[in-house]
Amino acid sequence: MKGKEALLALLLPLTALTLWFAVSAVGLVPVYLLPHPLTVWDAGIRYIFGNAGQGAYAGRFLVDLAASLTRVLLGFSLAAVLGIPLGILSGRLALVNRLFSSAINGLRAVPGICWLPLAMIWFGIGIKTTVFLVAIAAFFPIYQNTLTGARLVAPIYYQAGAMLGVSRVRGIFAILLPMAMPNIITGLRLGMGISWAYLVLGELTGVPNGLGAVIMDARMSGQTEIILVGIILIAMIGRICDRLLVSLMRLCFKSARRQI
Amino acid sequence: MSVESSGNTEITLEIAGLSHSFLHNGAAEPVLRNISLSIRRGELVCLVGRSGCGKSTLLKIIAGFLSPSRGHCLLEGRPISGPGPDRCVVFQEEALFPWLTVRENIAFGLRGKRWTPAIRNHQVDRFIELVGLRGYDEHLPRALSGGMKQRVALARVLILSPLILLMDEPFGALDAQTRDEMQELLLSLSQERSQTILFVTHDVQEAVTLADRVLLMDQDSGRIREDVRVELERPRDRSAPPFQQYCIQLHQLLRQTGPRPMIAD
Repeated sequence: MKGKEALLALLLPLTALTLWFAVSAVGLVPVYLLPHPLTVWDAGIRYIFGNAGQGAYAGRFLVDLAASLTRVLLGFSLAAVLGIPLGILSGRLALVNRLFSSAINGLRAVPGICWLPLAMIWFGIGIKTTVFLVAIAAFFPIYQNTLTGARLVAPIYYQAGAMLGVSRVRGIFAILLPMAMPNIITGLRLGMGISWAYLVLGELTGVPNGLGAVIMDARMSGQTEIILVGIILIAMIGRICDRLLVSLMRLCFKSARRQI
Repeated sequence: MSVESSGNTEITLEIAGLSHSFLHNGAAEPVLRNISLSIRRGELVCLVGRSGCGKSTLLKIIAGFLSPSRGHCLLEGRPISGPGPDRCVVFQEEALFPWLTVRENIAFGLRGKRWTPAIRNHQVDRFIELVGLRGYDEHLPRALSGGMKQRVALARVLILSPLILLMDEPFGALDAQTRDEMQELLLSLSQERSQTILFVTHDVQEAVTLADRVLLMDQDSGRIREDVRVELERPRDRSAPPFQQYCIQLHQLLRQTGPRPMIAD
């Protein structure tokens, strides 16, 4: 059963890969648009495991990964630290919701890329701009899902808590957060996903390192295979981050372990 | 079980002149009018009425989830203000905490008790046993049937030894067979522990099965209309003529409390 599931999950990627091999073998598309899979593979190996002398991007992976991860984690944490408490307050208190909802919904309608020029003016080129973009983008799904989760907790659970001796303040931790946990995790996962998207946006602005920077740099130097390496790596790292996030939440919270 | 004969006539719950209105389109709509009642220690009282007559509202007021518009509500002489573990509710809907096991749900209210872990574990074990859920300690609520969930709901409040147990149509969503079993369980537990209970139901037969006294609520006036003492030996035989007699009597009374006619304006 397990093997069958794994096979099913790999079916699409394998089909795409086969198609890619076929297209390259026939020479349907010129290599500067779509390099041969093996070229990309070699470039990837060199990028990840190579030594600095072996080519333009050889051996840079760990430095880029560290830079990108730092930016994503900082921006994402900032979004979570603001989004979860604000979401809970807005979900439970009509007054707070009225205060924030139109402003936040208005800001959400602004495409993330619009923040880029402003961020560059405010923070210059560097880590702060990227962290700012990531934080802004990840905030909305985290806030919105936490709000929904908090709002969906039926009053009967607070009543049950109150009769069992739970005070209003302790109820936030004893009842509200555990009940809203599935929604909070959905929000965090969406936020994490979008963090990687905005990371690349932030890194397109000429920072020296990071996975997005490599992609942009490779475009300038016409190395399509490095762009593809970057895209594939970001997809894989994004997926790993998602799994790690869920595992971490399950490790830390009983309510996550037992409800998702 | 006659309460008076034991000489114990202490009043657990006393309600006097209690009225409550809900705001509906800006106008106060009375639900309860001038309700007075008292429940003695160890008594099992059923509050019977049609849907919408305000019986659940009355229960919520006693539980402290609502404050009455007027009148007062005394528990062992002290006015009720807000919910607390001395008046626990078993709800009709599912209200177990879904991320906690049976054992953890039952132990949820014990935080305030300051028991040692050994005593706490022993007590939780005892109540799991009492409601017949041995072997299900580590199950989550979603893995339990409706009847088993209500057993957990019963255990988590009985373990706190509330002064009065409030039950809001707790078996209403169960199938007939399970409901009978739960009624038996409730009777044996309440008699063993002389637990005072106010039990809300719209099912006359359930009321006659369980109650020492049946209070009949009137939909029209928001008042308690009849106070019927059920003088039947326990265990009660539902096929026996006296049992049927009580049911017929209560049915007739209930029919007279029908909804007020619609008046076109």
